[in-house]
Amino acid sequence: MNIGFIGFGTMGRPMAEHLQRAGHTLHVWSRRPGVADFLLAQGAVRCESPAAVARASEIVCTNVTASTDVATLAAAMRDSLARDAIHVDFSTIAPSAARDIAARHAERGVHFVDAPVSGGGVGARNATLAIMWGGAPLLAPRLEPLFRVLGQTVVHVGAAGAGQVAKACNQMVMVSAIAACAEAARLAQASGVDFGKVREAMLGGSAGSRVLDVFGGRMVRRDFAAGVEARLHHKDFALLLDEAARLGAPLAVAAQVGQLLNALMGRGWGGSDTARLLEVLES
Amino acid sequence: MNVGFIGLGLMGRPMALHLAAAGHALHLWARRAASLAPFKDVGACTHASAAAVAQHADVVFTMVADAADVEAVCLGADGIVAGARPGCIVVDMSTINPNAARAIGVRLAERGIDFLDAPVSGGEIGAINAALTIMVGGKPEVFERIRPLFEKLGKSVTLIGGSGAGQVAKACNQILTGVGVAAVAEAFNFAAKSGVDPARVREALLGGFAYSRILENHGSRMLDRNFKPGFKAWMHQKDLRIVMEEAHRLGLMLPAAAATAQLFNAIVGAGMGEEDSVAALKLLEKISSPE
Repeated sequence: MNIGFIGFGTMGRPMAEHLQRAGHTLHVWSRRPGVADFLLAQGAVRCESPAAVARASEIVCTNVTASTDVATLAAAMRDSLARDAIHVDFSTIAPSAARDIAARHAERGVHFVDAPVSGGGVGARNATLAIMWGGAPLLAPRLEPLFRVLGQTVVHVGAAGAGQVAKACNQMVMVSAIAACAEAARLAQASGVDFGKVREAMLGGSAGSRVLDVFGGRMVRRDFAAGVEARLHHKDFALLLDEAARLGAPLAVAAQVGQLLNALMGRGWGGSDTARLLEVLES
Repeated sequence: MNVGFIGLGLMGRPMALHLAAAGHALHLWARRAASLAPFKDVGACTHASAAAVAQHADVVFTMVADAADVEAVCLGADGIVAGARPGCIVVDMSTINPNAARAIGVRLAERGIDFLDAPVSGGEIGAINAALTIMVGGKPEVFERIRPLFEKLGKSVTLIGGSGAGQVAKACNQILTGVGVAAVAEAFNFAAKSGVDPARVREALLGGFAYSRILENHGSRMLDRNFKPGFKAWMHQKDLRIVMEEAHRLGLMLPAAAATAQLFNAIVGAGMGEEDSVAALKLLEKISSPE
């Protein structure tokens, strides 16, 4: 299949590579020259613009940072996409932004699917991502085979925007758990108790979780080199707290976790792993 | 002076009327023509666009809902920039994000137009009684030229600092009033659920270090179960969103404001957004009561 791909960051690079290895022809464009060269050597086609990517592909994937980045790309590609083509966006953006893009694409007979992922760089490299997608259910037969190349858990959550709602929930639960781990580590440490032992004990009990395992492990090792850069979680929290305000839904815990992330950013640690919340509590 | 005024809502209307009463020639434009009706008898000139208002005015006041509106009125196709002469002054009295205010100021300056951000505190009653608190950001010499007009609108007029500083002061004001209302509501709910009369508690506390105007005024309205606005809860929610946006941008931890912002989300979500902020009490009573 001819697949367009735009966005070659930590997540996008391995994802594009998996699609290519699965036998698809990739059509690529990048803002910064050179970042997609690793694909060209294996037969990918370099395009001069997002519109050129759109013309050459029946499915276009984008994987960028902010709502405005996705909206700009969507606008640049809209008129060049064939009727019934699919624009799949793997970025984490505001649900309302996703719905808006979907509505504009629909006017041109183009499908939009929001398909944010969870699992980080490791999940992308190992093709073990969790993919939560929103869009027309009738697209499932065309999309599921691609998603299966990239991830292990693939869930159709609902209509356009629903994938982003699921991702917001995912971020809220995960980062709140990271903050809870950091607080537990701090309490253990302040009590003169080894958090490594505490974590080991907890992993076998009701408080056991993947966050306690992975991020708790980083806290024990004091390894704060990014896994997931905290600035990305910080960005996601602005999105989800903004949605909560728009909807009149109180999120008491998430709001406090958002403040801890603000403090971490204020420290200048946006490039560190979010496990560094422990150091915010120590200061 | 020829004074333009755009945004003739609950706050803007009495403010514009005060300026007319002080002898200034008013130039008006409104999205809805009905907003212009109260100005028939004061000799105001009405115009077809913000640009036309600016063409005739030495200073244009704006009092609108949010940053997008201020931007549209100032910088839009038919906006102030399209009509203003160099040397014209724009005074925005809306409550918007400080960073947005700074950006609008910069873009107006490129066209030779001076800008003051001058948000107010005191609500509709303060506007009607010309008793507003006005917090101003901008150049001192521009502030001095507008000060006589500000003094027709408010009792307390303060130049806080450079562009955006007025909005920063307003954000601080909303942190203090938002957290203050929440604290009084929590204290009263705590007293009542402990079987103690909150009215007696308030009376005692007014004499001590917990005294505040919020305990006095908002507290009294809570005891009277008077939830009529005043200052609508949804507006407080909006202002706290501005605060939290700036905290996010600056990497600042504001835990009390964050908790309060969530309380206001709950008030709006529960359908009480049109009531006064003191409806916080009702929400707290309900959320931890048995069915």
